[in-house]
Amino acid sequence: MEAEALQKEALAAAEAAQTLAQLDEARVQYLGRSSELKLALREVRDRETGMALNAVREALEAAFAARQSELERAELSARLTTERVDVTLPAELLGDVRVRPRGSLHPTTLIRRDVEDAFIGLGYEIREDREIETVEYNFDKLAFPAWHPARSSRDTFYVDADTVLRTETSPSQIHILEEKPPPVYMVSIGRVYRRDAITPTRFPIFHQFEGLAIDRGITMADLKGTLLHVMRALFGEEREVRFRTHYFPFTEPSMEPDVSCGVCGGSGCPTCKWSGWIEIGGSGMVDPQVLANVGLDPGEWGGFAFGLGLERAAQLRYDIPTIRPFWENDLRFVRQFR
Amino acid sequence: MRVPLSWLREYVRVEADAARIADALSISAAEVNTIERRGPADTSLYVVGRVLGAGKHPNADRLQLCQVDVGEGKPAQIVCGAWNFSAGATVAVAKAGATLPNGLTLERRELRGEMSEGMILAEDEIELGADHTGIIVLADGLEPGSPLANAVPLVEEILDIDPTGNRVDLLSVYGCAREVAALFDGELLPMPGTDPAQDGEEKVEIEIDDLDGCPRYVGRLFRDVTIAESPLWLKARLRDAGVRSISNVVDVTNYVMLALGNPLHAFDYDRLEGGRIVVRRARKGEELRTLDGTQRALEKSDLLIADAKRAVALAGIMGGEETEVSDTTTAILLEAANFEPVGILRSSERLALRTEGSNRWEKGVDPYLAGPAATLATQLLVELAGARWPGAADVQGELPQPSVIPLRPERTNEVLGLDVAPERQEEILRRVGFEREKAGFRVPTWRARDVTREIDLIEEVARFQLSEIPFTLPRREAMFGRLTRWQRLRRVVEDVLVGCGWSEAYTPSLVPAGPIVLPEPISAELGAMRETLLPSLVEAARANRAVDVENVALFEIAHAYPERGREPWHVAGIVDGGFAEAKWAVEQIYAAAGIEPAYERASEPFLHPGKAARTAEGWVGELHPAELEGTWGAFELDLDALAAAAGETVRFEEVSPYPELRQDLAFVVDEDASAAELLAAVRAAGGELLRGVEVFDEYRGAQTGEGKRSLAFRLAFGSTERTLTDEDVAPLRAAIADAVGKQFGAVLRA
Repeated sequence: MEAEALQKEALAAAEAAQTLAQLDEARVQYLGRSSELKLALREVRDRETGMALNAVREALEAAFAARQSELERAELSARLTTERVDVTLPAELLGDVRVRPRGSLHPTTLIRRDVEDAFIGLGYEIREDREIETVEYNFDKLAFPAWHPARSSRDTFYVDADTVLRTETSPSQIHILEEKPPPVYMVSIGRVYRRDAITPTRFPIFHQFEGLAIDRGITMADLKGTLLHVMRALFGEEREVRFRTHYFPFTEPSMEPDVSCGVCGGSGCPTCKWSGWIEIGGSGMVDPQVLANVGLDPGEWGGFAFGLGLERAAQLRYDIPTIRPFWENDLRFVRQFR
Repeated sequence: MRVPLSWLREYVRVEADAARIADALSISAAEVNTIERRGPADTSLYVVGRVLGAGKHPNADRLQLCQVDVGEGKPAQIVCGAWNFSAGATVAVAKAGATLPNGLTLERRELRGEMSEGMILAEDEIELGADHTGIIVLADGLEPGSPLANAVPLVEEILDIDPTGNRVDLLSVYGCAREVAALFDGELLPMPGTDPAQDGEEKVEIEIDDLDGCPRYVGRLFRDVTIAESPLWLKARLRDAGVRSISNVVDVTNYVMLALGNPLHAFDYDRLEGGRIVVRRARKGEELRTLDGTQRALEKSDLLIADAKRAVALAGIMGGEETEVSDTTTAILLEAANFEPVGILRSSERLALRTEGSNRWEKGVDPYLAGPAATLATQLLVELAGARWPGAADVQGELPQPSVIPLRPERTNEVLGLDVAPERQEEILRRVGFEREKAGFRVPTWRARDVTREIDLIEEVARFQLSEIPFTLPRREAMFGRLTRWQRLRRVVEDVLVGCGWSEAYTPSLVPAGPIVLPEPISAELGAMRETLLPSLVEAARANRAVDVENVALFEIAHAYPERGREPWHVAGIVDGGFAEAKWAVEQIYAAAGIEPAYERASEPFLHPGKAARTAEGWVGELHPAELEGTWGAFELDLDALAAAAGETVRFEEVSPYPELRQDLAFVVDEDASAAELLAAVRAAGGELLRGVEVFDEYRGAQTGEGKRSLAFRLAFGSTERTLTDEDVAPLRAAIADAVGKQFGAVLRA
């Protein structure tokens, strides 16, 4: 038979099979040891015929495999349909519900709750904002200069020219100041995104909390005191806090807070790289330009802002050396927390 | 920026040791990542030696046997494998007992039958360089036996400093010295470099087409240049600073960049067409082969250094291969220029080409630095390459004038929350280069980009006072903080699920496919924002099963991203054991939220066709077996919708003092009639005295017949006035049976 006609016939047979048994039958007929095609292949003497027949064989094998998975899925569906239950029944009549020991909250949530509680206690409101953010709110209104590397698509996920996955929770500063007049005391918590390669200590997605206080007469001392309170709430009453100068576009002056090392108590150890202190985030006094950007008079209003990573805080509190387990969701990890 | 301490101390006189300097810099200027120490721990056995005699080792062809004067009564005999010296040479010697930086302790021992009492050192053995082709030959005139540390930089401490993006001035040893001087009130020495006398009158042709991109270009011509290796001190400094030594000319340009912060470039002058320099933007289609051997297609926005004919360098980023300084170069044109930052940043980003130079330019280098940089380089080229300096040009546009910024000292104190006396503020500012003038403080040129407002001056004061600032809390007129209703519900849902035995997961919101796609993802797996949490949880469950974790029950609360502008919170879960397990959890969530959901049969491709239900807020079902091996229950609800539907408050109802009367009713009914429908009919027919009703049994068997089943209901009747009797509720019972019978063809079982 002509190869082309044979192929046509075999494809039709595969399509016509309504059960797996029928399909197997057809497979033996057209692709089996003593099928016309296999016999012809054995007889091949020239390259051209061989290639043509092999092409037919490959096409048929693919078609039978495709039909097989279709039929399998259909037979599965038919079987599943017979297992149909009344979905409105209460769970205990639908099957076994195992008695399970209490589960665990993820360490990121445990830290989030402590942050929430600490700031609720200080009279702050807690908010969540959008993660797909405009360049305007993520950079422009926060006074990021045009040259700032964070604006680069090397560092930041752009959705389009005007839209990014927020790189920090700081756009919440702008959102809340545009929504309501000061005084404002708020903490924004949520996911942020950086275009970092995945390493043991970095993941392109993490959680931040961002604090903002806008009022009359706010000082750097107030920022220092607030951070001390929060660090002690998160890491223990014996902790100390210090400032190191730094640079952020939306604060001036800008400082990085350090918290005293909990492993050595400040005397120096491998955890704190022998400095006695551990870097914990960024902070500073809200830049007058940011206030002006939301229509506030920097002569009247001032304030501070700070941002820290939830995972980083959890790493420090629970002494978890890498970021990896935070996103792997191995229950043997999560179940350690309570 | 790696700063060798001996280099720093050349520019500033302070007593403080490396650790104190590092601490102070970290607090007030720029983070010091590490303090590295190079060289032997104990240098007492390292001395200068003079070779008195050297000849072939009697028993080894490749070794020399040397008699070396090491300042002791009798010369030391040392076996040496190098041949680049002979009697009379001054060399570096480690005597027996010395420990090399690599930890090896030298001993007096016989080498092929001859005693060797130490080692004549090569660069690499004391970490001064990579060279091991010969030993170090020192300058004549050094006293044998004198400490080697006085002759070569035998030990060094290196601070690895990490300045923030606004402090490009700290990407130089001198800039760091200025900061250290201010921190410790030490003496800052004048910038290094003195111009030697110009020797000749040759014209140097420089033309700047784009003064915005290049506000300044100092070009200096050098002739009679001898390209050679750099002296040991220079090689050691570069090596300690992390820069590879190439040749004296290239090393000088790098040294000056590190010393002062102004990147330089040296062209082979004889290869510049027409002997001239033109600074301009690239032309359409123009190309340049850069020093790294890469042919680069240029764009009109790229700033170029060109000669009369073609591009010879990517301004500020990298030189071109064709005009590179080589061993045969005898004339060079030195470039000490200033480039505008943003253009350099854009070009270097586009070409993915970052260099020591571009890293500085993109942050904005002081345009007044080009002159001193040219001077220091000239001095060194004349000293180290035997060069003559016959011509120079300095082309500049309008350089920015230093601004004067007013400062109210009381404003500083308001911001800091600390009283700093006005004199003290002035003192701090003066030390970091801000001069007091009538109208305020004059900003030094190296800080002009960063310091433009009063608040910036306040920061300069603040960074020197950080540890003095006290700990206070804002004084507030009004104070109120609480979780929102939604935030409280989130906690409730978390706690309910944990109570049910589920554990919390955090999965990436970036997935392979979703409605919002990232044009430049870091990988295909993280290519889009997810529309639903379930697939991520399926992966998490699969990963747990892969490591044989049992009793898998995972939930997550996170945003979903169904479309631009909408990011609803979802709660989703996955559990081993099937539909009932998932539905139980969902029932508990609804109960906690105070919502009675209506379950309807649902159909989703990823769910078991007979075990999937939909509610107003989401779905619950059994995973389709093709999704994941085993039997799994799953659910996903819109937490925002749940919060919107959640009951606001509980309305109290009086509890009756009388017990309730419970009765069971069982109906045989068509499979098609759902328990929920029957329940609704029972409720409607039961009236006021029917206080509660629940389905407690489902049964299929011979008695019920094909296509039918029995559903049993437990009814609770009650009254606030008395204890009800069977007779009291008999009519209600009959009404219920009647209603259910009529509506569903249900038959009451005996």
